Amino acid sequence: MSGREAGREADPQTLEVVPGAPRDHIEGWIPELASEEELRAALEQAFSYRGDVLITRKDGSTVEGYVFDRRTGRSLGDSHVRVMAKDGSGKVSVSYAEIAGLAFTGRDMAAGRSWENWVRQYRERRAAGEKNISLQPEEIE
Amino acid sequence: MPVPISQAWTVATYVVRQKLKGRKRYPLVLMLEPLFRCNLACAGCGKIQYPGHVLKMQLTPEECFRAVEECGTPTVAVPGGEPLLHPQIGEIVEGLVARRKYVYLCTNALLLKQKIHLFKPSKYLTFSVHLDGQRENHDFSVCLEGGYDKAVEGIKEALARGFRVTTNTTLFDGADPNSVRKFFDEMMELGIEGMMLSPGYSYEKAPDQHHFLGRARTRRLFRAILSNRKKSWQFNMAPLFLEFLMGKRDYRCTPGGTPTYNVVGWQKPCSLLQDGSAATYAELLESTEWEHYGTESGNPKCANCMVHSGYEASAVNDTFGSLRALWATARATFSHEYKDPEALELLKEPVQPVHAFAPLVQIEEPVAQETRP
Repeated sequence: MSGREAGREADPQTLEVVPGAPRDHIEGWIPELASEEELRAALEQAFSYRGDVLITRKDGSTVEGYVFDRRTGRSLGDSHVRVMAKDGSGKVSVSYAEIAGLAFTGRDMAAGRSWENWVRQYRERRAAGEKNISLQPEEIE
Repeated sequence: MPVPISQAWTVATYVVRQKLKGRKRYPLVLMLEPLFRCNLACAGCGKIQYPGHVLKMQLTPEECFRAVEECGTPTVAVPGGEPLLHPQIGEIVEGLVARRKYVYLCTNALLLKQKIHLFKPSKYLTFSVHLDGQRENHDFSVCLEGGYDKAVEGIKEALARGFRVTTNTTLFDGADPNSVRKFFDEMMELGIEGMMLSPGYSYEKAPDQHHFLGRARTRRLFRAILSNRKKSWQFNMAPLFLEFLMGKRDYRCTPGGTPTYNVVGWQKPCSLLQDGSAATYAELLESTEWEHYGTESGNPKCANCMVHSGYEASAVNDTFGSLRALWATARATFSHEYKDPEALELLKEPVQPVHAFAPLVQIEEPVAQETRP
């Protein structure tokens, strides 16, 4: 059971510190989409992912970008994933029923810059007498 | 008074009108996020981790004005990202002020001195400067040495030019209540209008996943900080919300109270939680399953939240819901020090400041006064 799952079971009114969310390591993942359940679960992961994904439609066309919304209905035809296209062509809606493949192609922007790394670096650099220490936002590609 | 009478009157009459119309769900403050890009990489923030092509996107002034008109709130908060990075921020703010919206431009103030010429002082415009405590705490929290000094420099410049200025402070586990109280003194001495504060929301994408306050600790921390108040302290917040943080009141979340519009549309359900988006405000209202949000809903993503975006709207709604609550608000505004001997004891407890360099703060024993025979 992860910390956050344990936290979910605790009474929120008595909780001292919120258990952190576990980090998903799904960058580069190409999920199996053999069943409807697998497709729905993978698209939910794509919605939570802070990187770009590549969606391949059954007609072979593709759309790559950031999944900013999903609207789920009872059938795959009623369900849509909405993507901010990486090529600047705007918002694209893709029906779940059209999707043949999914790949987590973009870098996970929420991974790799953990608080612990910052604290360690900061203390080491400060102990070495450095000044004006900072953690800068990454350059935009 | 923490806010000008004209602003208090505008908000009060707006809320009363909503109640007279029988609207159960009405927006109080629009969170208008014109971009996600930021010039800081704060430990507790989960709002800016996006691919580069999303970070490059920004709302046009026209999109901002359309959102403001759709939503109709008297108050518009403009956070981000860092709004001063938006190349048309001057035009956006000018347009909002022309619409007589009370605008809170939420900025880390690193660029405030450089860009202040884009703005004109107005009772409708307030710079709400992000400062997470005294110098060392703030710099460590925003991962930038010198960040505090730059922000204070921006505040002084804005005050000198006649702008309204508040601070906004987010607290995490390990916050030292004594230091926060000293920070309040420092800010009020600078001459700001008032202060805002809130516990941090437990963003799943924030770099620091270990220091989000749980509800029990939040109430204890805010009780220690906000009891036995100094008369000089002014808070630019609903007084009953502060009582909620202190554990004196219980509220249910009002997730629609602070709707959020940004580059992907109307964010469901609030500024903190991203559960999809809607193209229009009307669609947001219709398509969001509001009962799935708030601590009492059982939604684990809402379980520990006590943040102003959901609960200050509840406090304001309560204020205008009964004469008793209205009286409590008036009393809190004008005369309440919240004397609390137990809270003084809480201030003596040792703390482990995690958003500061010092590994441990030892609270010194009070020195016995010398007595003479």
